[in-house]
Amino acid sequence: MAMTGEMGRPGLLATLREKYFSSLGNAALSIICFSILALIVWKFFDWAILSAVFSAANGPEACKATDGACWAVIDARWRLILFGLYPHEEHWRSALACGVVVVMTVLSCLPYFWNGRSISVIWIGGFLAFYFLMKGGILGMPVVDEQSWGGLSLTVFIFVTTVLVGTPLSILLALLRRSELPWISALTGIVIDSVRSLPLLTILFAFAVVLPFLLPDWASGDKLYRAIFGSALFFAAYQAEIIRGGMQGVPTGQEEAAKSLGIRYRHRIQRILLPQAFKNALPATINQFVITFKETSLFIIIGFFEILASGNAAYGTGNWTFAFVEVYAFIAMIYFVFVFSLSRYGAFLERRMDVGDH
Amino acid sequence: MTKTAEPAITIRSMNKFYGSFHALKNIDLTVQHGERIVICGPSGSGKSTLIRCINHLEAHQSGNITVLGKALDNNILHIDEIRRDVGMVFQHFNLFPHMTVLENCVLAPMLVRKWPRAKAEELAMQYLEKVKIPEQAEKFPGQLSGGQQQRVAIARSLSMQPKVLLFDEPTSALDPEMISEVLDVMVALAKDGMTMLCVTHEMGFARQVADRVIFMDQGEIIEQNPPEEFFGNPQNERTQKFLSQILGH
Repeated sequence: MAMTGEMGRPGLLATLREKYFSSLGNAALSIICFSILALIVWKFFDWAILSAVFSAANGPEACKATDGACWAVIDARWRLILFGLYPHEEHWRSALACGVVVVMTVLSCLPYFWNGRSISVIWIGGFLAFYFLMKGGILGMPVVDEQSWGGLSLTVFIFVTTVLVGTPLSILLALLRRSELPWISALTGIVIDSVRSLPLLTILFAFAVVLPFLLPDWASGDKLYRAIFGSALFFAAYQAEIIRGGMQGVPTGQEEAAKSLGIRYRHRIQRILLPQAFKNALPATINQFVITFKETSLFIIIGFFEILASGNAAYGTGNWTFAFVEVYAFIAMIYFVFVFSLSRYGAFLERRMDVGDH
Repeated sequence: MTKTAEPAITIRSMNKFYGSFHALKNIDLTVQHGERIVICGPSGSGKSTLIRCINHLEAHQSGNITVLGKALDNNILHIDEIRRDVGMVFQHFNLFPHMTVLENCVLAPMLVRKWPRAKAEELAMQYLEKVKIPEQAEKFPGQLSGGQQQRVAIARSLSMQPKVLLFDEPTSALDPEMISEVLDVMVALAKDGMTMLCVTHEMGFARQVADRVIFMDQGEIIEQNPPEEFFGNPQNERTQKFLSQILGH
């Protein structure tokens, strides 16, 4: 029987036969592998869906009666995971604040808004909206202190603020490091290398716990902001080197051409050097963003209930202690959604920026 | 050709070092307004360095350079003021790859001359017509041939309406069949009376348009003469040797 498709291209069956069943040994190997794969998929499907308990109505006891996943723990504790210790009746504010950050991120990812004014309005407006929704104290919303922030909103807040503070800082460090004055570039190099040679954990700890002893009270601010500043510094040290690498990929002729046209330093940086450097640095930058998002979980050690800590609390108290796998699976899914979107967006940017290259 | 009393460029006893290497030795050169000068010489003779000193892409260590009546020192404001009026065309074009041809041409006029976009675009289109590629205005540099890119680079320089144009081996990176389209544009500019300093090995171009041909070797100006004299009756031994090498085959 001929297995070719309409256009003379091999059909699905022909492709399968050629790739997986071309010889007896090959066929045997394929059958074994497919069987194992099918078994794993089936087992997972059975565990996650068929035998799973979804409703918390009957309490933890319903879960103990089955071998399947106990999603009931999510049903019972989702508020704790997403909102941490944030007061129960104010949860809508935390959810809305998360939504604001998502909208702000999506808007600033659209090329239509890529000009200084739109981006500033979106980010400053979005950040203020987030802050006042979370903190309250205006429009009749009760004040909720940073110590009570938690869950997904806190994770998102830490990430966004780190990137927001860290990115301009990293550009500044990268520019200082390539300064023509040797003492400036050497000094910047020392700062970058020192920060990079410390573990993030140490930096967070130092900024959250040690710094208040060194600074006067009025300058030390809230623990959360000190820790975020430490995290931004750490991000900036790595990102500065990534951007510097991108700058080195821009031929010197670019800067000479801009100089010969009389374009000033500031504009040479803004219009000629940085756009090309960012493009060169894009894959590594997306990588750094992904790492930074996941490193927000380290805030757990200085006592913040970001999403991982809230998850621990969700199964760690009461009768749900046996359901930790389900809680972690749920959190992993949330991380995955964020990180996967980030890398798809990176791929989109790479395609878009390739336009002028060929 | 209009020659006003004050020269466009005056260089007096200028020296340039790279570390201990003496790249330019005691250079004296005066260029009048509207004058077309071709600079030639063996590689490493300092000819590119010389014209790069005129817009301070390279700093000189001693001597004086005056461009369009302004003394060139290390003050960035003076340097930028001179660069505004002195265009440069590079061997490797150096177009901005992330911008369209038109954006390449209007960027500096808008940022430096502070012209509104409409005016900058109108002028840029005029110059793109002049270099005969207005139809490529919306393309990116990477989509053009070498010869087209170099013509865009010339249009980009012209869009600033410079009083002096420096050419740093503008045809050396081109495939042979694209050289003439760039030279044609340069000849047309010369006929319009643009003050030009061209580092080039195109001796046909030198014969056709140059008012003066300068021969450099080992960082020194060895000889300068009008083309008939320069090619017909070279004075210095090194000039004779150079000419026999590049015209010999």
